[in-house]
Amino acid sequence: MLKIILRHVSLLILTLFILSFFSFSLAYLFPGDPLVNLTGIRDSSEQGYAILAKQYAMQGSFLSQYWEYVNHLFSGNWGLSFSSGLPLAEEISRSLAASVELSAYALIVSFVVGLPLGFLAGLRHHKLTDFALLTTSVIGYSIPVFWAALIAILIFSIQLGWFPLSGRISLLYDVPYQTGFILIDILLSDLPDKEFAFKDALRHLVLPSVSIAIVTCTIVMRITRRSVVEVMSSEYIQAAYARGLSPRQVFLRHGVKNALIPILPLLVMQFTTLLTNAMIVETIFSWPGIGNGLIQAIYQRDFPAIRAGMLAVSALVLTFTITIDMVIQIFDPAGRRPENATS
Amino acid sequence: MSLLDIKNLTLEIDSQSGWIKALDKINLVINEGQIHALVGESGSGKSIIVKAIVGAISDRWRITADRMTWRGQDLLKMSVRERRKIIRSDISVIFQNPKSSLDPIVTLGDQLKEVILATRLEKGMFWNRAKARKKYASELLHRVGIKDHEVYMRSLPHQIPNDVCQKFMIAMALASQPKLVIADDPTRGMEITDKSQILKLLSRVNKVRKLSILFVSHDLLAISSMADHMTVLYCGQTVESGRMSQLRKRALHPYTKALLESAPSFRTDLAPKSPLSSLGGTIPSFQHLPIGCRLGPRCPRARRECVKVPEVRRIHEHTYSCHFPLHRDQK
Ligand SMILES: Nc1ncnc2c1ncn2[C@@H]1O[C@H](COP(=O)(O)OP(=O)(O)O)[C@@H](O)[C@H]1O
Ligand code: SF4
Ligand SMILES: [Mg+2]
Repeated sequence: MLKIILRHVSLLILTLFILSFFSFSLAYLFPGDPLVNLTGIRDSSEQGYAILAKQYAMQGSFLSQYWEYVNHLFSGNWGLSFSSGLPLAEEISRSLAASVELSAYALIVSFVVGLPLGFLAGLRHHKLTDFALLTTSVIGYSIPVFWAALIAILIFSIQLGWFPLSGRISLLYDVPYQTGFILIDILLSDLPDKEFAFKDALRHLVLPSVSIAIVTCTIVMRITRRSVVEVMSSEYIQAAYARGLSPRQVFLRHGVKNALIPILPLLVMQFTTLLTNAMIVETIFSWPGIGNGLIQAIYQRDFPAIRAGMLAVSALVLTFTITIDMVIQIFDPAGRRPENATS
Repeated sequence: MSLLDIKNLTLEIDSQSGWIKALDKINLVINEGQIHALVGESGSGKSIIVKAIVGAISDRWRITADRMTWRGQDLLKMSVRERRKIIRSDISVIFQNPKSSLDPIVTLGDQLKEVILATRLEKGMFWNRAKARKKYASELLHRVGIKDHEVYMRSLPHQIPNDVCQKFMIAMALASQPKLVIADDPTRGMEITDKSQILKLLSRVNKVRKLSILFVSHDLLAISSMADHMTVLYCGQTVESGRMSQLRKRALHPYTKALLESAPSFRTDLAPKSPLSSLGGTIPSFQHLPIGCRLGPRCPRARRECVKVPEVRRIHEHTYSCHFPLHRDQK
């Protein structure tokens, strides 16, 4: 077990190192002078340039510059955003939290819908229900995320007016920033109209999270269906039937758990797909997340923001993936059942 | 009255090349208190018969039979629910792979308790039930020779040795106090000592509890010491059936004879170092079944008539299906 942890931690450190190196090099890969790119100060005097270069540790060798960069990263000094002039570290952590929140709720939605449908399809394997669900899932899987979002806006907010068009919460409410997750922040806050604020935030969440959940929902459904079919045709399920248990007893006592355990990590992994899709949908819903932020940064040639934002997203996805992989391996050494690994 | 009476059971399996007759007119009668052996090479369809009896069948199988009754009640005509009730209280199965027929993530104790029927426990209020159930479970385990029942009840199937696992299966089979236990190859892949323990255990419950056992195996040696009756299966057809002693003395079907002769300990007249006789070739796969008598291609006595399926013939209790049975020679 220690070996597994060590292996994953070193893998994580190595890849993060490569990532940081890549993000560092971005300053040189962007067109133009790296210092101008990073500071945004275009026509400074010779002296001014030298001072800036010193400030940004630009006069040393490539490697010493990199070393400085990493130091800055760790001390939380990620640079300033051009457009807002605010420290990037704070800005990015806020928008990243908004994206993570959106993806997390979308993940919950896909589980709540996808898991039961997957079980249903698996139990009705090769029957009409199964085929109908599969067909629907192929359609759902093939819908482009941004298109689904646009159609959802068109129907549910413009035509029917059920849900707000964009944003995270109505401007009426001023929720103090604490965790970055708006629902939690509302609950923690002492707003006088907490309940309404919460409902309003929920209404804002519905369209974006549902439109990114569609694809993941179909994936969850298919993974579950496959697993259920496999488990229900296994020998111990047949044996349980032969012991005279009713189909219901067999399914509830032996089917559900056995079908879920091996696919759980796979399901949790869908979070990264969701995050990617969330970043696309954010721009459409003006959701103040990292995807939206990055697009804005690109429009405004806000190089420090692009650099730091990309690093933050990729570091998050990477850390998440490697951690999940580690957890799987700890509990499941030979790709067998989790209980095997307790020793 | 016989417990289980099966006449002309035919089971077809849906495959790429159409419906295949995996079982072709199987006959099997099991009487009360009897140990009945069902013998055949592996792949001859023994496990399929077991599944057909207990109704653990896939929807790509088609079952027909002239008669399939349990103590006079027609198993094929009754509702799924009634049938399940009979299976739950009267028939138990011990499967051939104990490990893979137990739920890998539920403790053995829970799986054992699951099959204990409430009606088999001493009367008591519901708060005593769990305790009574546990007591009953540990008694069962003692009876099949498991001593550390506390430890094993808490274990998962993969954590315990194979033979203990098989004993657990037997305990589970006995839990409902059934009339018939079907043991499908219960000693497959076991050490000799474990094997004989399991066999002794089974014949003891047969004697003590007047329990009928359908003992399915490809292992003649294991069967011959305990079974009263034997049915020989070849490739989904019952070739011969009768009293064990009679079959051993005078087998009428060429396949039974070859089977008996391939086990040296059955032959008293065997000269030292004489070659073992057996049929050439191997059992055909279900995709390439010969027509007529399925033994045809391997049978030393086969003639043209054998492309027709031989009728079942009967001499007292002894039945066989062959156009040219062995006793014809002596005439
Ligand atoms: N569900 C199934 N679908 C198709 N063929 C099967 C199925 N189950 C068993 N068979 C075939 O039936 C044959 C007999 O199987 P089985 O009853 O397990 O033999 P035995 O128990 O005598 O060794 C095998 O050749 C196998 O290929
Ligand atoms: S019917 Fe023919 S082929 Fe079949 S066992 Fe008898 S002699 Fe052999
Ligand atoms: Mg078998």
